[in-house]
Order: sequence, then C-alpha cells, then structure tokens
Amino acid sequence: MKDAFIRYLPLLLLAIAWEVIARLELVSGSALPPLSDVVAAGIEMIKDGELVSNGASSLYRAGTGLALAVLIGGVLGIAMAWWKPVNVLLAPIVEIFYPLPKSALIPVTVIWLGFGDGSKILLIFLGCMLPVTIGAFNGARSSEQVLVWSARSMGASRLRMLWDVVVPSAMPELLNGIRTALALSFILLVSSELIVAQKGFGHLIGVLGANGSYDAMYAVVLTVAFLGFAADRIYLQITKRTLAWRD
Amino acid sequence: MAAAQIVIDRVNHLYRPPRGREVLALDQVSLEVANREFVALLGPSGCGKSTLLYLIGGFLPVETGAILIDGQKIAGPGPDRGIVFQHFALFPWKTVRGNILYGLERQGMPKEEREKRAMDFIELVGLAGFEESYPSQLSGGMKQRTAIARTLAFDPKILLMDEPFGALDAQTRGLMQSELLRIWQRTPKTVIFVTHDVQEAVYLADRVAVMSARPGRIKTIVNTKFDKNDPDIFKNKFFVEKVDEIWNLVKDEAIKAQGKRA
Amino acid sequence: MRVFFSVIALAIAWEVLARSGVFTPFQLPALSAVLGRIWTDAVSGDLWINTALTLYRALVAFAICAIGGVAIGMAMSRNVFANWFFDPIVSVGFPMPKIAFLPVVILWLGVYDVSKITIIVIDAIFPVIAATVIAIQGVERELIWSARNMGASNREVLHQVVLPAALPQILTGLQVALPLSLIVAVVAEMLMGGYGLGGAMMTASRFANSTSVFAGIVEIAVVGYVLVKAMALIRRRLLIWHQEAAAPYTQ
Repeated sequence: MKDAFIRYLPLLLLAIAWEVIARLELVSGSALPPLSDVVAAGIEMIKDGELVSNGASSLYRAGTGLALAVLIGGVLGIAMAWWKPVNVLLAPIVEIFYPLPKSALIPVTVIWLGFGDGSKILLIFLGCMLPVTIGAFNGARSSEQVLVWSARSMGASRLRMLWDVVVPSAMPELLNGIRTALALSFILLVSSELIVAQKGFGHLIGVLGANGSYDAMYAVVLTVAFLGFAADRIYLQITKRTLAWRD
Repeated sequence: MAAAQIVIDRVNHLYRPPRGREVLALDQVSLEVANREFVALLGPSGCGKSTLLYLIGGFLPVETGAILIDGQKIAGPGPDRGIVFQHFALFPWKTVRGNILYGLERQGMPKEEREKRAMDFIELVGLAGFEESYPSQLSGGMKQRTAIARTLAFDPKILLMDEPFGALDAQTRGLMQSELLRIWQRTPKTVIFVTHDVQEAVYLADRVAVMSARPGRIKTIVNTKFDKNDPDIFKNKFFVEKVDEIWNLVKDEAIKAQGKRA
Repeated sequence: MRVFFSVIALAIAWEVLARSGVFTPFQLPALSAVLGRIWTDAVSGDLWINTALTLYRALVAFAICAIGGVAIGMAMSRNVFANWFFDPIVSVGFPMPKIAFLPVVILWLGVYDVSKITIIVIDAIFPVIAATVIAIQGVERELIWSARNMGASNREVLHQVVLPAALPQILTGLQVALPLSLIVAVVAEMLMGGYGLGGAMMTASRFANSTSVFAGIVEIAVVGYVLVKAMALIRRRLLIWHQEAAAPYTQ
C-alpha cells in the first residue's frame, strides 16, 4: 500500500501544484481553472445527468464496436492461421490496412452512416479489428507444434485440436491484441466525437469549450482520460487470472 | 620470497536480490596469488567463483575483508586487471578491430601505435582477415578469440577469465584451451581462471583452488604445475590421477549444490 | 514484394466492386475516379501543399519526441528522482486517449500549428520514453563492465557503450512514434480544419464529396507507408551490425 502511495505521489503533487497555480492566477484565469472548480463542475454534471447520458452514449458505441472487433477479428485471425486459403485471401488486406492510420477513416464513416452511433461503431469496429486479428493470428501460429502433435496422437479431430490446443496457446498474444484494441477504441471514440458528433464525451467537450465553460470541459476531459486508464488496468487484472496457468 | 601480487584476505560477499532475502555468497575467502601464476577457481554452480572474480576485478564492492593488488586495496575496475567474460561481451556495433582498439583508445595511445598493436593481437589469436567483421558474423570461438585479444591488447598485468570457454562447443573448447596455454606460455601474466570443468583446470593451471558449495569457501588448493606440452596429455597417467584427486574433492560439493537448488 | 501484389489485387477488387453496382458511386467511388481526383489535386498543387503541411507538423513533432523522449528516458534510468517523478506520469498516461486533451491544448495555445505539434508530442512521446527506459535497463552489464575495465569514465561508458547498445530498442520506440505522429497530425487537422491532409478530408466530407474523401484515405495511406519504409531503411543502415533483420512491416 505504502509503495503504491510513494509511486503515485508525483501525480498528487502535480494536482496540488495545479490547484495552487490556478488559484494564484499565475496563468490567465480562464485557461486554467482550479482543480477544485473542475471537480465541482464534474459533480454538477453527474447530478444533472449530462455526464452520465453522454458517457453512456460513448461507452455504448465503443463497447459495441470493440465487441464486434474482438469477436470477428479473433475468429478471422485464428482462421487465417489454421486454414491456408483463408490466409491467402485475407493476409493482403491485413498487410495493406496495417499501416493505414485508422483515424483517416473518420470522414468515410461519416459519409456512409452520418453523425450518429452507426458511424462511430463502424469506425471502432474497423479500426480495432486489426490488432485483434493480428494478435489472434500470431498467437495461433505460435501454438507449439509439439502440443498439436500430441493432441493429434491422442485422437483429436482437427476441429477439436483447434479448440483444445490452438486457441488456448493463442490466448496470450490474442489478449495482448485486445488490449491494444481497447486503447485504440478509446482513441477512435474520442477523436470521432470531437470532430463530428451530436452526443457523447467528445461532443460534450466541444460544446463546453465553445460555451466557455472551461471547468466543466476540463472535467469531461479528465473523466474520459481516466476511463481509458481504468479500462486498461481493469483489463490487465482480468486477463491476469485467465493467464494464471502461464506461470 | 616476493610478496604475493594478489592477496585476498577473509572476504565475505552478501548477495542482495531485488526481491527476497540476502544470501551469503562468499564466506571468509582467503587466497594469495603470485606474480605470473595461473590459478584456477574450480567449484560447482553457484559457489561464488564468478563473484570472487568480479570482486577482484572491482566490479563489485568489497564490503568485508580486503583484496590487495601489489599491496594496494583495489578501488574499482581498471586496466591493470583485464577481464574476459563467458558470453564475450563484445561491442556488437564495433568490428573486431574496433573492439580491440577500444581499450587502446581509452589509454590515449597514439593512432599509428594502436593500429599496429591491434593488428598484432588479431594475428596472435589467429583472426587475420576478419578484422572488419562484426561480432554477429563470427562463430563462438572467433568471438571469444576477439574478446581475449581485446583484453590482452591493453596489457593488463592480471588476466581474469570467467568460464571463457563455457559457451563454446566441446571441440572448439579444446582448441581454445591449448591456444590459451600457448599464448600464456609466450607472454606470461597472472591469470585467475574460473571454471567448473576439472580437466580444463588441471590442464591450464599451476594451482587449482577448489571451492565449496554456497556459501563459497576455498576448500583445498591443489598443485597442478607440471609439463603440459605432451600432445596426449589428457591420457597421461599423472594428469588423470590429478583430475581424479580434484574431482573427488569437487564431487561432494557438486552434490550439495544440486540439493540446495531444489 | 508480396505487398505490391496485394495492392494490385486489392485495387482490382476495388474497381470491380465499385463498378458492379452493389454500392452507389457515392458509397464506393471507383478507384479510377479516386485516382483521377488525386491527379487533379497533384496538378493543381493542392496535394503537395496539404501533404507538406501535414508532414511538417508530424515530423517537427516527431523530432521533438525523439530528442525529448530519449532525454527523459535517459534521465529516468540514471536519476532516481527523475524516475520517481516521471514513472507514474508515463505509466498512467500511456493507456489514456490523450487526444482528449486537444481542446485543452487549443485553449492554451490557440488554433495554430503550435497546438497541433503539441498534441502530437503529448501522444507520441510516450512510446519513445518507454522504449528508451527499457533499452537502457536492458544493456548487458558485462558490456559496461568491459568498458570500465578498459579505463572508460562514466561519461564515456554512457555515450560510447550504453547508448549504442540501447539503440536498437530505442529505434523500435521511434518506429512506433513515427506513424503515431502522422495519425495524430491528421486527427488534429480534422478537428481544427484548414490546410493539411486531415483538414482537406474534413472539408470534402462536409461537402459530401466522397471521391475526395477516398482520395484522402489513399493519400494518407501512401504517406504512412513511405514514412514506415523510410524509417525501416534508416534502421537497417544504422544497425548493419545487428543480428536481426530490419523491423518487420507486419508485426
């Protein structure tokens, strides 16, 4: 406990510094509202529902897009590793889209599906599929040949082997790919909502900024940043248990 | 009789891992090494022989006891005690020549002189023609020759060798052992040679210091100075007897070391 | 080489699909139309202006990330206080969607290039710092000991041994930061408008000009590909001595 406190102490000190600098008006008053004001504005928004309703909208979009990406991307990746024809067909697509900045797809999804949920979900789905697919592919490919042969000799059918040997072996890399996709989903969510949306965290930040309600704007920015951090930490905790057998 | 060049006087060493309890690696180790003597430190894994070498080299601080070189306490690493590591520790971004030149550049040797000296040592270890190669292009044996040339080039009076042939295959190892003996006989230096291979120790060394399992102590010192130039030395009766004698001393310690590890 | 054929295959598939009538020309403009658009932009000069601006912002920010990130990483590995201070910032900041801070940056620094470059640095400096720290900590202690053995001073050890030994991994961090710089540049441009590949795409999107939007995707993809390849080439040059091949294109 004490170690964790010392480790994160700089953040506490920065928070205090923020409060002090803002109160002393060392920076032009409006550009840096005191942290206490920011927190107060945040609580206000929770109470009047603005933060929660926009948040729900955002999380719904990100969650749906990510879930689809994990499901379909995972299956595709393993299929690519297991059946050669699938690999031949899909590998070129993966190779081409790998270096493409997924955020470049924002305007296209808007053209296709407008300003609402659909475009965001599609964007996150497309963007997050790649790390999941690559993770699943690499993971499935690395499943030790010896394990596969052992299962074979014990009479396992090809499909059985896939389920009993390949998928568990692929887990570490697949879970890593999902972790990347998780972070990416937040990035794509915020980016697209900042640029073009009518609901959601990003939209709320834009509106508050335009209104000059900077303390509220800071509150939402911090909320979404913290959610991204928390999601990653929670994910690590959950996957640690699934991967317990590794150690 | 001249005072010993290296005096190790009742040295302890505590190993402090980042997590877990401290372990006593060396316990009251004392040893004296004369000038130009070849001494082998022999013992099972984990007995602290490499640790002792690092202490002499000045890479680890001497906290209890003292290590004196020519009567002076050591104060850190220095070019008077050259070290050769098991995994070569060559600078991968430098060529063979570049690696050997490094020590000479640190000494501030003038350019022409050090280029010539580097070439001399490259030839000495039989790597002529490979001076522009990078370590990644060399075999294990060649890498180790480069490492040895690199250390010999800056002329340390003492040579510290940490299982230098341990990472090589058996055949290369045999060749390197006779190479080293040949080089040492030509340009004798004080050598402290760490190994767990009894035959290697008897073949190369004047004296073999047998160490106990952890915590390491010097159990016995056996004299192994005799004519090593017989081409069939490994079958020589006297040699075999010596190896047997020392192996019996080491055997118990090796078993103890296995037990501790489990 | 395989990538080349993949591109050709995809291009053909695109054109066929577009012409097949499954999608409207608005939803999926023909590749030929898109390429035509790119050509028009190239001739009129717009393509070069936009590309140059985006590259300028991305590369300036990348340079700052490279120098600043390595410096912070070095400080963190050698100085206990620097490590204590930066570690939680890096650890907590890494998984955050730092693009969320763009409105704050605009509030502070206005709507000019400075803001764009700042948000790129905020995003892309993290992988550089992390890679540098890991790289320096991973330097074999026997390399450092050998150098000390040969009489090198602390400064000499740092510059002549630690940094060269850490270079491969530091370069890997830089190879992550470069495409990241490009992405963030494009996103910042989309939000803030004006010239640049991102801004141009947003404008096209507002005018429902789908051909131009697709043209923008192709342009950004090409720029991204060129940058990644250039970086891989630089890596190969710098690391001739290294055992592994240049970082693979598909991880």
